[in-house]
Amino acid sequence: MNKSSLHIGGIILSYILKIIMIIFLIISIWKLHWVWIFGCTLAIIVSLVPTILKRNHQITLPPVLEILVTFTLILHIGGGLLGAYGIPNYDTLTHFISSFLVAFLAFVIIYILDEYWDGLMMDKYAMAFVVIFTTIAMGVVWEFNEWITDIIFGTTEQWGYTDTIKDLFIDTLAGIVMAIIGVTMIKRGSFEEMTEEFGEQLDKRIIKSKKD
Amino acid sequence: MVNLKEICIKQCFSFTFLFRIVMIISIIIAVWRKDWVWVVGTCIGLFISILPSIIKRDVKFTLPWILDFLIAIVTIFHMGGRLFDYYYTIENYQIITRFFISILVAFIGLSMIYILDEHWDGLKMDKYAMAFVTVIFTMAVGVFLEFVKWLNVTGTYYVKTNQVLMLNLSADTVAGIIIAIIGVNLIKSGKFDEMTDEFGNEIDKIIIDRFEKRGKKRN
Repeated sequence: MNKSSLHIGGIILSYILKIIMIIFLIISIWKLHWVWIFGCTLAIIVSLVPTILKRNHQITLPPVLEILVTFTLILHIGGGLLGAYGIPNYDTLTHFISSFLVAFLAFVIIYILDEYWDGLMMDKYAMAFVVIFTTIAMGVVWEFNEWITDIIFGTTEQWGYTDTIKDLFIDTLAGIVMAIIGVTMIKRGSFEEMTEEFGEQLDKRIIKSKKD
Repeated sequence: MVNLKEICIKQCFSFTFLFRIVMIISIIIAVWRKDWVWVVGTCIGLFISILPSIIKRDVKFTLPWILDFLIAIVTIFHMGGRLFDYYYTIENYQIITRFFISILVAFIGLSMIYILDEHWDGLKMDKYAMAFVTVIFTMAVGVFLEFVKWLNVTGTYYVKTNQVLMLNLSADTVAGIIIAIIGVNLIKSGKFDEMTDEFGNEIDKIIIDRFEKRGKKRN
């Protein structure tokens, strides 16, 4: 499969996911679930951010990132709206996908900084380690968020010791999986292909390296 | 100024020495209480705390004095908690111990990153990026410690509640941030370089150089 057919495939998948999200919005309006009407609207806006960025600011996010963001939102909304969180291990799956998204984002940022910022030069295996650490640390930050929410609002975002440990384990696993995929992609040169355009745009606007 | 620094270093070394004496006393108390598990535990603790000195003597290897000091203080805290049940009798004793463990982990993390940055071709990092990696490294190691507790590899009893888990993770994060701030200031003033220079050169000779040569041979 060549690069352009992969790109077209990515665009089609992205549109399919957005259509699913619109269907979710219609279902939530049909059922008059106000929380999910708000949730779906917000998710559609978030999933349109890459398109808005491209049209108004000429920033092209890697298609994989766009698909992952939309897919994560669909899983979360589908879980709440259609009661899919009742399916065994569905929560584990959504947590894994979210952590994988964080890991992917971390890898992209580190890779771009390594390529364009004078303040960072990193071996690919060192990058893999930093991605794993970042994913775990973000998982901890997320757990802090749930813990503090429970303390302040009396909610039950955290389901107990074992569940928190399980979440942290999934974060770690997602970080390791992304690290392995990332290193393999860097070796093949496909990671550079995927992030080149986005990296150049970030460099021009934020990093401003002296690279030609 | 130089004299003051020397006095400080001497004081800290004597503190470390004092801690080792306390640990030997702990072993004697553990034997007296016939707490054999903790006799072994305290011996391991003492061994860890004197490890830098052993390494220094045999391989002409010098660890930064603060590392020596931190290893000793952490071991003392942990052994005190186990031997005298301070983990259960003194409120928040466990969190304080965890905080010092994380301070040690964060310092080791920052030193490793700094030494790799100075001596390894595979890493060049801005000091603020180092600070960030120190924080996330400390948080990640904290999570690994929680996994070890959860798996109960050592067969030791731990308080396993969500509240304790979250407090432990908070202690890790705070310790990481503190060391990151102190570390950046020490790097800016050049003191971190002084502190890790000798140790870094030895690591470079013993490990990094060998890996780099092996990598070049493969290429």
